[in-house]
Amino acid sequence: MSKNRSTSANELSRREFLNVFAAGAAAAVGTVSLSGLSGIASAQDGALRIAWLTPATLDPRSASGESEIAILNALYDYLIETDAAANLVPRLASSWEVSDDGLVYTLQIRDDASFHDGSPVTVDDVLWTINWHIESESTVASLLTSVESVAAAGANAIAFTLSESNPDFLYNLTDNKFVILQAGAEDIGTAFNGSGPFLLEEMLPGDRAIMRANADYWGGAPSINQLEFIFFDDQQAGIAAVQGGSVDGILRLDNSSFLGFAGDMSFNTSDIPTSGHHLTRLRSDRAPGNDVRVRQAFKLATDRDAIWERVQLGFGAVGKDSPIGPAFGQFFLADAEVPARDPEAAAALLAEAGYPDGLDMTLHTLRSGSFPDLAQAIAAQWEEAGIRVEVQLEDENTWWSTDDWLEVDLAVAGWGARPVPQLFLDLAYHSEAPWNESQYSNARVDELIEIARASLDQDERTAAYKEIQQILLDEGPVVVPYFFAQFMVLSGSVSGVELQPFAGRTNFNNAVVG
Amino acid sequence: MADGRPLSAGDVHRAYAAFRRTAAAQLRHPQSALGTLLVAFFLILALFGRQLAPYPNPNDQSHDVRVAPTLDLGALHLGEHPFGTDRLGRDVYSRVILGAGSIFRIAGLGTLISVILGSALGLFMGYQGGWVDEVIGRVIDALLAIPALLLALVLIGIIRNLDFAAGSWQAALADNVILLVISVLYIPVVARVARSTTLDIKTREFVEAAEIRGESQFYIIFREILPSVIPSLVVEASLRFSYAIFLVASLGFLGFGARPPSPDWGLMVNENRGGFYQLTPWALEFPALAIAVLVIAVNLMSDGIRRAVQKGA
Repeated sequence: MSKNRSTSANELSRREFLNVFAAGAAAAVGTVSLSGLSGIASAQDGALRIAWLTPATLDPRSASGESEIAILNALYDYLIETDAAANLVPRLASSWEVSDDGLVYTLQIRDDASFHDGSPVTVDDVLWTINWHIESESTVASLLTSVESVAAAGANAIAFTLSESNPDFLYNLTDNKFVILQAGAEDIGTAFNGSGPFLLEEMLPGDRAIMRANADYWGGAPSINQLEFIFFDDQQAGIAAVQGGSVDGILRLDNSSFLGFAGDMSFNTSDIPTSGHHLTRLRSDRAPGNDVRVRQAFKLATDRDAIWERVQLGFGAVGKDSPIGPAFGQFFLADAEVPARDPEAAAALLAEAGYPDGLDMTLHTLRSGSFPDLAQAIAAQWEEAGIRVEVQLEDENTWWSTDDWLEVDLAVAGWGARPVPQLFLDLAYHSEAPWNESQYSNARVDELIEIARASLDQDERTAAYKEIQQILLDEGPVVVPYFFAQFMVLSGSVSGVELQPFAGRTNFNNAVVG
Repeated sequence: MADGRPLSAGDVHRAYAAFRRTAAAQLRHPQSALGTLLVAFFLILALFGRQLAPYPNPNDQSHDVRVAPTLDLGALHLGEHPFGTDRLGRDVYSRVILGAGSIFRIAGLGTLISVILGSALGLFMGYQGGWVDEVIGRVIDALLAIPALLLALVLIGIIRNLDFAAGSWQAALADNVILLVISVLYIPVVARVARSTTLDIKTREFVEAAEIRGESQFYIIFREILPSVIPSLVVEASLRFSYAIFLVASLGFLGFGARPPSPDWGLMVNENRGGFYQLTPWALEFPALAIAVLVIAVNLMSDGIRRAVQKGA
């Protein structure tokens, strides 16, 4: 069992991976504190106030929470972004081209962008930022390990030369931490001379960030004069502030709170499915999960639609037992036929596999968010097939800090949203993957994962992803009942904000207030 | 009886008289009578919950989700789901009934253990006196100085994170950690009450007479002193019971008590607060009401018992 929880692709811890990108799944509740509300100015024309959880750091090397990234996203520019359908969208890089062998990526850097102090954004700034990350060994550097060299290619272009082809390379450049800093920038994390659509006017730690529209922004000045991020220590306090009208919107809330807003005409609500998901996984390297009939019994005993309706209240999307969901568009095996729930057939499969009296197991899950509900809902369904589980709630701190989460037979786990499916497969489904919790090993799946990782032929990748989904659905070690949604609630007077799967990357440039 | 002597007619008569006195005192005070009746009602729910609940499986999710309560007090009509259904489609009425069992089992058993061990300890300390009393007394003081809930959380945190071999007695102990916590918290309290009463009793003539007769220490403590300590222990036990109910509910609420899908009232309150409170307020309100009513009922009952005991003393 590998104790190495970091990967060449990404050095996030398993816990951070879940927390940071988990969208709409958290239900961090607590006493409603109004401390964050003190002294909030009354709504001004052209000012937009958004509730966020209090950020801990604004250093791009370590920032990861939604509120942290939201501030960086307002003050700085990324090279490339992704949209809600996981398409690449130009930002500081106005266009790009890939060499035929897939090894050289050339990005054109906009020539009309400038930092808040007036100096233009140049290729040197981009190169400086990359070197800064590499020198400080940040996670951005780990995303660039396949880069052999990076250099200016003419006045306004930058070329990345890879040591091996990587069809998802441009997605690495969209990483949440990869904002472009000015060459030689100092006091990073406390001084913010970015090129983003907003300028920092005042930062009141633990209270709020007040930002002013950047009139000289290359993409045009934002339509609002002022953007205020108001910080709350817990989600329920932020929700209460939105309900009370002291802030204009919130982009992270639990399903049940969102459902409350969705029925209220005085709010604009939106929800989009993400690739973040919860799953149950069964160790498949030892009994009982090493018998394919047992794994199939778990699948047959589960009604994914009912769980989605109950646990996610019908927000997001139903899963098909693989990490690739509808958020991945063409890669998703949309027409896969999920066998209808049949507890008797499941019990018969268990009997065939040598468990005529069913199974008694412990289902480990986290104490937070909707994990306990998922565990209870699925336990009730499995029980009818003779799979009797005792739900064991684990504390996040201790669960990820020991190797228990990799060791136990049966557990509920969660994955945050990602723009490409490859990472899930590389991290958890390849037989040599570091986070292969279920110890699943299927030579064909390994082969398909490797094809998808390197192939430059989009059709070949799509076919590989689809075959992986079919295999996982037929005999895999996981049940993926749903993909969760990302939510946004804005006051009825606010429009023009397009929600992103990772809420922190939502742009407020085109917001209209009033 | 401690010395093996059969119960005498006098013993039986004394016990009956005490019971009649208590019952009469309860009836004289309507609020105590109400409290006692309510406790009896919850006790019946606890004992026969599985027979009384319309859906005896607490994790039965075969119903529609988030159905509003059908209870109509005016028409005395229960309906399909008197207390509604929760977010997962479980009948809240059944779960509240089933929850009575777990709270009585844990709080009741915990109180029983605390009272038996605590009074034995208190009697021993009080009668023995000297350095034994001094040492145990200081330990008890130290335990009592720590806020109860804090001590409970620390104990649970430590014990739940120890790794015990499955099937060992330590593992069994860890499974019943709440019982252990109640015992650790309340044995000192009960011991202190028993000790102070013992200090008073042991100077009485009948104790001195027994000592002169050369009776064993065991005989003197349990045959001579204990009967006189029992009234104050009964009062203390009923008080401890109400605190134990509150503690069990609090731990369930904080997520340290029963595990889902247990119909533990505190856990139900916890699971249905936050966003769900707006969608299914009934799934929080009925278990919360059950906790409140039971705690108040036990307090009213223990008031009545205290009055009866003081009258009799």
